[in-house]
Amino acid sequence: MKKDLFTVIIGGKAGQGTNKAGSVAAHLFSDMNRDVFQMNDYPSLIRGGHNFSVVSTSVGPLRSHYLEANLIVALDKKSYETHKNHLVKNGVLVVNSDEVKETEIGVPITTEAKKHQNPMLISGLASIAILAVAVGVSKEGLVEIITKEYKRNLEDNVAFSTTIYEIAEKTIDHKFVLKRGNEKKKSLTGNDAIALGAIAGGLDLYFAYPMTPSTSLLHFYANNGQEFGVTAVQPENEIAVANMAIGATFAGARVMVATSGGGFGLMQEAFSLAGMVEAPVLFYLGQRPGPSTGVPTYTEQGELRYALNPGHGEFPRIVASPGSVEEAFSLTSELLWLVWRFQTPGILLTEKHLAETTMSVTLDPEKTKWAEPLLHSSGEFKRYRDTPDGISPLLFPPSSSIIKWSSYEHDEQGFTTEKPEEIAQMHEKRRRKLYSLIQYLQTIRTVNVFGTGEPFIFTFGSTTMSVLEALEYGGISGTVIQPVYLEPFPVWELEKYRGKRGIVVEMNSTGQLATILHDKVGIEMKALIQKYDGRPFTPTELATKIKEVT
Amino acid sequence: MVDQLATTAENTWCPGCGNFGILNAMKKAISMLEQHGIPRDHVIISSGIGCHGKIFDYVNLSGLYSIHGRSMATVQGIKLANPELKLIDFTGDGDAFGEGISHIIFAAKRNADITVITHDNGTYALTTGQFSPTSSKGFKGPSTPRGNVEEPLNPLTLLMEVGATFVARGYAGKIDHLADLIVKAVEHEGFSFIDVLQPSVVFNDTYKEYNDRVEILEKQPRSYDEAVQLAKRREGKLPIGVFYQVSKPVFHHELYGEWNPVKNRLHRKERLEKIKRFIEGES
Repeated sequence: MKKDLFTVIIGGKAGQGTNKAGSVAAHLFSDMNRDVFQMNDYPSLIRGGHNFSVVSTSVGPLRSHYLEANLIVALDKKSYETHKNHLVKNGVLVVNSDEVKETEIGVPITTEAKKHQNPMLISGLASIAILAVAVGVSKEGLVEIITKEYKRNLEDNVAFSTTIYEIAEKTIDHKFVLKRGNEKKKSLTGNDAIALGAIAGGLDLYFAYPMTPSTSLLHFYANNGQEFGVTAVQPENEIAVANMAIGATFAGARVMVATSGGGFGLMQEAFSLAGMVEAPVLFYLGQRPGPSTGVPTYTEQGELRYALNPGHGEFPRIVASPGSVEEAFSLTSELLWLVWRFQTPGILLTEKHLAETTMSVTLDPEKTKWAEPLLHSSGEFKRYRDTPDGISPLLFPPSSSIIKWSSYEHDEQGFTTEKPEEIAQMHEKRRRKLYSLIQYLQTIRTVNVFGTGEPFIFTFGSTTMSVLEALEYGGISGTVIQPVYLEPFPVWELEKYRGKRGIVVEMNSTGQLATILHDKVGIEMKALIQKYDGRPFTPTELATKIKEVT
Repeated sequence: MVDQLATTAENTWCPGCGNFGILNAMKKAISMLEQHGIPRDHVIISSGIGCHGKIFDYVNLSGLYSIHGRSMATVQGIKLANPELKLIDFTGDGDAFGEGISHIIFAAKRNADITVITHDNGTYALTTGQFSPTSSKGFKGPSTPRGNVEEPLNPLTLLMEVGATFVARGYAGKIDHLADLIVKAVEHEGFSFIDVLQPSVVFNDTYKEYNDRVEILEKQPRSYDEAVQLAKRREGKLPIGVFYQVSKPVFHHELYGEWNPVKNRLHRKERLEKIKRFIEGES
């Protein structure tokens, strides 16, 4: 079991602000120097439906939410029905007594909310008031939080939340005592960390068409970009997004584009163009359950093979997937650096579970990389100069030299060619870039290894967080192996596990990582633990599954 | 001057192709632009895929040889990265009005400061003469042996409708006039478009028709409505010249004002300091 763990679930209709309430709850715990992990579960709609935010907190590292809740605030009947079984022993379930009659602790949230303007929106604040009472925050403390977090119609917000506080005080005052932690950490979403990592790496322009789970990146840059000299552009579709980005690199701008599976499909043609013209474009691919529209606001890892093989023709590409919000920050800058160093497209592969999850982090901006290309210095400039490592030094316009990037097979100058020896020469040049890339990757960390001994558990992306938390929760020892780089696949790091029987944990139905480990490294799987219902693993269910196979 | 713009690439256009006229007009326009103070190294070109696209290899200017239909997005990206550059994008009628129609419409809508020159030959020549978005109804090609059943679209009225701020028509057979149009289009601040009537000697030889019908506009139409009416004309004389020009705020300026992303970029140290402050302020 995990010590000092506390979980609150806030459930309601879309429009009641459960996600916002969740993040306010997370801040409340952060202020107690506790680690937080917030996961929002919401359907693809704007009003109604059932949304919930689950916030877990502990003293010390926390890598997953838990669904076993100490406190549940059900703002509507559906939330009560959905979550009543998630309550732990001695837990507290507070319902909106205007909707649910059959429980002990009810607060007339709707009745009270109707006394104010915009009752739907304000009703969500009840969850903060109830949480404050339950964990022993004073009424003044609550007012302080509301004043900071809910500035619009502040007077109403304060009046409503203090009324709810006073009602709840009669039944659940100081119900839980939460220990304070020692270190105050910041909490960020995966997308915030990625956005900041790209800025640290040198980002100038960000192009995107909105698509969950990438959308909050677009909003981040639109709102905060100017401060960092970064411009967000929202073109007409993903095709324009990717092609504009390639054009921008021609002029020397560091760029990133972001999308999800369907949008990435539209970018394939440009991905191949980037391979041919040798454009350093960083693509962000945020996975959600597919195929097709799939389940837009949930999570999956069904696009691993898709991410490894985009674009027609042969050219090197770099694919990596972060296993935590902290890693997302540094890895994004590293990928931006790599695509510039090797002048080829790269993919930051992630999932909704990382992109939209908020967790406590310690970020060190000094540990990021700075994307700097190899520049042409002297002699005649040839855009595709055939060099021993395959990398041709760059020049940007305006320049007295002619700089020609071409989608056609080209000679060293960039002019179209159909000559057999030149076609082969350019294939070999691009191939040598791949070898140079592999050589470089062999000098940096490409695989994370946690723990020691058997079993050997292989996983990738955000599922790494679920696995690590499950092991801690279940008191299970073993080695967790997370390939951060997925293309080129770090066979050199993984070969030592050949002959050992491993367990693979991944969020898809076909075992994509398992087959790659088998095909590329020769690792046989003892067991495959999968989940493909759109919901991330919880530590309790995953610990049970791991115990079943070990 | 003109010779310096030639390249060593072997020209593979069919003898007599209208593309030669556009190439010569382009070279002449570059020299004229230099006289007007726009240095050659600031003029960046792109093209789509088709016979027209080969012009990329035949003009000794920097640029990015893009893919079918996407060059209009490519040049907008270059412009956004460094707004000091002047972008000229050569497209075919298939690029601009088939594969990439969304990009030209949006480039015009947002008044991206680029020049799009469409080599409008009304056929897909490089793939052996299928009908194109601007082929006339009844056009016979290998994919329409009984004649094209679709109506052609009208590049000029379409672009005026979606907000282009400079709309012109040129003719590959009138090189000096076309060179002059290119100069005006490049000097126009905002989205400029020239639809160039371009005979394809093998698949759609319109020389005789155009030589009979083309007529240089003496005066630019006085209003938007007049320009649209003139552009709609199908019978009789085919006017060439500037149909419509208006001054409106340009996209990159609306987006980031006087900023230049590649020239003004913040350096690492400044960024890291700002990131630290940002994270501190977050929670």
